[in-house]
Amino acid sequence: MNQQPIPSHPVPLTAEAATALEQLTIKKHDVAIVLLHWFNASVWLMELLSGLALIVAPAYRVMPQWYLIMIASAFGSRANLLRVHVALGLTWIVVFTVYGVFGYRNYLRKEVLVNEIGLDHDDWQWLRIRLLLILNRTKEALPEQGSYNAGQKLFALLVYTALPVIAITGIIMTFHLIGTAVVAWAMLLHFVAVGIVVSGLMVHAYMGAVFPEERPAFFSMITGRVNELFAYKHHFKWWKQAKIEQRHWQQEFHSTTPSEPKSD
Amino acid sequence: MARYAMVIKTERCVGCQSCTIACKSEWNVPNGFARTRVPETGTRGTFPNLNTCFHVKQCNHCDRPTCVPACPSGATYQGEDGTVHIDRALCIGCGACVAACPYGARYIDPAAGKADKCDFCAPRREQGLAPACVLTCPGEAKVFGNLEDPASDVYRLVYREGARRMVSNAVAIGPNVYYTGTPEHLEVQAASFAPVPPRTIAPGYIWGAFAKKLVLIAVSASFAGQAIAFFRQLAVGEKRFED
Repeated sequence: MNQQPIPSHPVPLTAEAATALEQLTIKKHDVAIVLLHWFNASVWLMELLSGLALIVAPAYRVMPQWYLIMIASAFGSRANLLRVHVALGLTWIVVFTVYGVFGYRNYLRKEVLVNEIGLDHDDWQWLRIRLLLILNRTKEALPEQGSYNAGQKLFALLVYTALPVIAITGIIMTFHLIGTAVVAWAMLLHFVAVGIVVSGLMVHAYMGAVFPEERPAFFSMITGRVNELFAYKHHFKWWKQAKIEQRHWQQEFHSTTPSEPKSD
Repeated sequence: MARYAMVIKTERCVGCQSCTIACKSEWNVPNGFARTRVPETGTRGTFPNLNTCFHVKQCNHCDRPTCVPACPSGATYQGEDGTVHIDRALCIGCGACVAACPYGARYIDPAAGKADKCDFCAPRREQGLAPACVLTCPGEAKVFGNLEDPASDVYRLVYREGARRMVSNAVAIGPNVYYTGTPEHLEVQAASFAPVPPRTIAPGYIWGAFAKKLVLIAVSASFAGQAIAFFRQLAVGEKRFED
């Protein structure tokens, strides 16, 4: 079996090595997460379109009158539109709750969360250098990244904070809970939390679907896999860890007596 | 098209609260709330020129209602006949309309968690019946009708006999509940129950003054950023191989 050593830090690749790595794929997302992502994306799209048409008073609304009429008419009446908005929102909450309950150990464990939203020293460096690179002010190399870069982690942090706010304020408004003043503040928080997420969401969608360098990440949300060249260049720390796990799995697969699993 | 109005003949009202009870039982108004009620002005003036009277409070179905633009979800609306209604299916119970009403005519129904108020007995009117309070008033102090019908009692009382609206210098939004009575009675009513300027709830104020702008700026800035990046991507083109 071809067992080249796994480099501890990224080394410049030869054309052959790069081509070889590009042919290999490595699993990044579980099927459950791929499904949840697209469920979430479609619910967000529909909730956003319907929600914007539910903010009616001139002092509050952000969309023009024709938009409010168009969307409400598509559902027959604004009351129907609200019913759809609420039903979808509650479904979304139930699905996330089911994921949370059943997938707790897989997806909400501390180590997993730290990996997704915890920013270490390298991440802050990455942010600094990335910004300077965009402004053409540095030639420093970007530090190695885990499975998510600092931009993705910050967005995840924002989303993880906003989602409970959106869900809880939505429930308060739907069931008119606690009291009038609470409902009124819930309304404001619901709007602001969604607004902040949407401003980040636009960057997320652009980076994922349009920006050429991140293209493999977009397809990983369909196939669950990324090519190794992309992983090597953009998420070296994660690639290295995955390769170590892969080697271990290969040894296990080919040996008759299983060995005790080791990490690193 | 009709334009409904109510005239309260103060000189005939004895404060018996029959209208309050009729309305509460007709519409199952919860304890502690009422769509119409009859408070007393209390003794006003200086001895020996003292005066007091009863005052019927309810939704005035204003021509330019402040509750309608205050309602974020559009649940409160003005019908074609000028009467103001609440679409309960749309109401989330935020209380913005309650704060916006200068007449204190609205409340949040604690059982439903939604706003409620007088709708001039719309379901009864659909059946050709007079509003419950009008029908039940033993002194016939309440007169209901169409202001566009010259043969109606309200037309006569408002346009020929000078029934007055309860307005103030600060708040004149065209209420459609009118009052008749002696000048002294109308004066003490105005002194005790003049409309208060509409209030905006704090979250509503923050929404209009800051939150909407903040969200629009954040989303536009984010959109502009990616638009610039995309134009650059268009200009530079994409690589076939990553280096």
